[in-house]
Amino acid sequence: MSANKILIVDDEEIIVRLLSMSLRSDGYETVTAHSGEQGLEVFKSEAPDIVVTDIKMPGMDGLELLKKIKEIDPEKEVIIVTGHGDIDSTITALQRGASDFINKPVRDEALAIALERAKTKIAIREKLKEYTENLEFKVAEATEEIRRKSNFQRLLIKSSHDAIVAFDHDWKVVVYNPEAANMFGEAAKDVRNKMTIDDLYTPKIARIFKNQAKEEKRQNTLPWRDNIINTKDGRQIPVRYTSNVLHKKGKFVGTVNFFEDLTQIKRLEKELVQSERLAAVGQTISGLAHYVKNILIGLKGGSYVVDVGIQKNNTDKLKTGWESIKKNIKRVGDLTQDLLTYSKQREPEFEECLPNDIANEVIELVKDVAGSNGVLVSKEFDTDIGEVMADPQTIHRSLLNLINNAIDACIDDEDISKKHAIKIKTYMDKNNHFCFEVKDNGCGMDEDTQKQLFDPMFSSKGGKGTGLGLLVTGKLVEEHNGVIEVKTSPGGGSTFTIKLPYEKVNTVDIN
Amino acid sequence: MSKKILVVDDDSDVRSFVVTVLEENQYIPLVAQDGVEGLEMIEKEQPDLIILDVLMPRGSGIRLYRKMKTDDNLKKIPIIMFTGIALRSFLKSQKVLDEFKGGEVPKPDIYLEKPVEPEELVAAIKKKLG
Repeated sequence: MSANKILIVDDEEIIVRLLSMSLRSDGYETVTAHSGEQGLEVFKSEAPDIVVTDIKMPGMDGLELLKKIKEIDPEKEVIIVTGHGDIDSTITALQRGASDFINKPVRDEALAIALERAKTKIAIREKLKEYTENLEFKVAEATEEIRRKSNFQRLLIKSSHDAIVAFDHDWKVVVYNPEAANMFGEAAKDVRNKMTIDDLYTPKIARIFKNQAKEEKRQNTLPWRDNIINTKDGRQIPVRYTSNVLHKKGKFVGTVNFFEDLTQIKRLEKELVQSERLAAVGQTISGLAHYVKNILIGLKGGSYVVDVGIQKNNTDKLKTGWESIKKNIKRVGDLTQDLLTYSKQREPEFEECLPNDIANEVIELVKDVAGSNGVLVSKEFDTDIGEVMADPQTIHRSLLNLINNAIDACIDDEDISKKHAIKIKTYMDKNNHFCFEVKDNGCGMDEDTQKQLFDPMFSSKGGKGTGLGLLVTGKLVEEHNGVIEVKTSPGGGSTFTIKLPYEKVNTVDIN
Repeated sequence: MSKKILVVDDDSDVRSFVVTVLEENQYIPLVAQDGVEGLEMIEKEQPDLIILDVLMPRGSGIRLYRKMKTDDNLKKIPIIMFTGIALRSFLKSQKVLDEFKGGEVPKPDIYLEKPVEPEELVAAIKKKLG
């Protein structure tokens, strides 16, 4: 806004006219008055930007007019025209807020300068006002923002599912949210600004946070840790916690601790484990039921054939049927033994034995079955493995299981062009283990099957497997402090290796 | 003339049981141990009926069944499914194959879940062969 409208007040009409003409020619708009009273009225009605008034006027003089105008608008620019040497009036005028004064006779240049100054002042004031208003707005905005943020933070802290506790530099509690009250069992009113860290926490927990604060800036945030906190009312709560040490300009100002109550999570974890166990049991039972059903099919079929043999006095039928029954009775026996082995903790019974001999025994057992299925069995034994201290039963059963699996893998192989073979190797490894390697070139296993190899009741043999074989083998070997290793690829066969710790038998020197 | 019936099953107990049942009822039994051997026998012997297991090594019953039902020369031969697995699982396997290979294979007429009594098996055979 440009200050353009000027009110000229003087009792001498000629002066008013001259000034008015002069100012108009400079581009100002002018209004005039010939007395203080008239000046005040014109001021009210015209709202000029600047007032130029003579001091000495009959009736209301310039000083009085100045006072009235300033009462209406204290910021209005009023320029006083004084007679030469009228110092007292000039001082009074300045005291009353006149913005400038010029001497009579009024010279155009002097007036122009005074007006410019007034205009500048108005402009500055307007700018200032604008700034101030802006500033006020900005301050209001910022205040609102801060209020919102602090409200938000307060809400955040209040509604957090984590317990949040903050201490100032004297270890006095300054923040203690409702979840913290829940966790520690102390009401906020008894804690906030009243308790210290030692009042609230058990010594162990308090020490962790105090030590952290001592470590300065190197470790401002603790990594999340799990712990059990003992509350004052004697509860034990599993928590995950972390803590931030707060510094301001390098000085310790306090710490904030966050606790996550793990009770629920632990409970859910337990439930999950439980449900997985139930699912495993379900799988176990259905796998087992399948296997038992197959035994039943064999027994029923066998007994029918035996019945026919008896009726017809047919020895062949009797033999065939009886074979079926015997085979399935053995399956029941093996299953029972596997189940017992799996369910019971068993200590290996160490005795002097010859691993190569045991391997030979097992090979003799399976040779016929392998042969009748077109599978060639070969062996390669390390004769340096002499007598060892080991549990022969573990070796026997584990090896028998692996070789039976190898035969099944050959029988199940879709590739009938292959010459199926199994090789059993014994050797010593670098880590002082004596090892049995059973290698077949049968169907091999895909990744999924491999992953479930040692799962209870997992079987890739349909109803023909109990799903206990490798499980039991794994358990036996583990109890013997050994390991089982598997290498396999679909279509490429599998290699299972049992490694047992080598313990040489001390030969006693009779002499 | 006596009818020829082929038993395809990898379990020797099942084979001897079914063979005995067939002999007792004046049928001529033929045996095969797996799907591959089964198909060879079918082509060679042209049996009047097939008693087929599902889970076998080397060419399962799932595949042999499908092969029979899509072969113009073989689809007339009646099949009795004779297995330890549930019908639902068998149908599911065929449905997956239907989607995979296109076309649709008819469901088996007779599906017996082991174990069965000899009379049940004979009744099923008679129903098919008259």
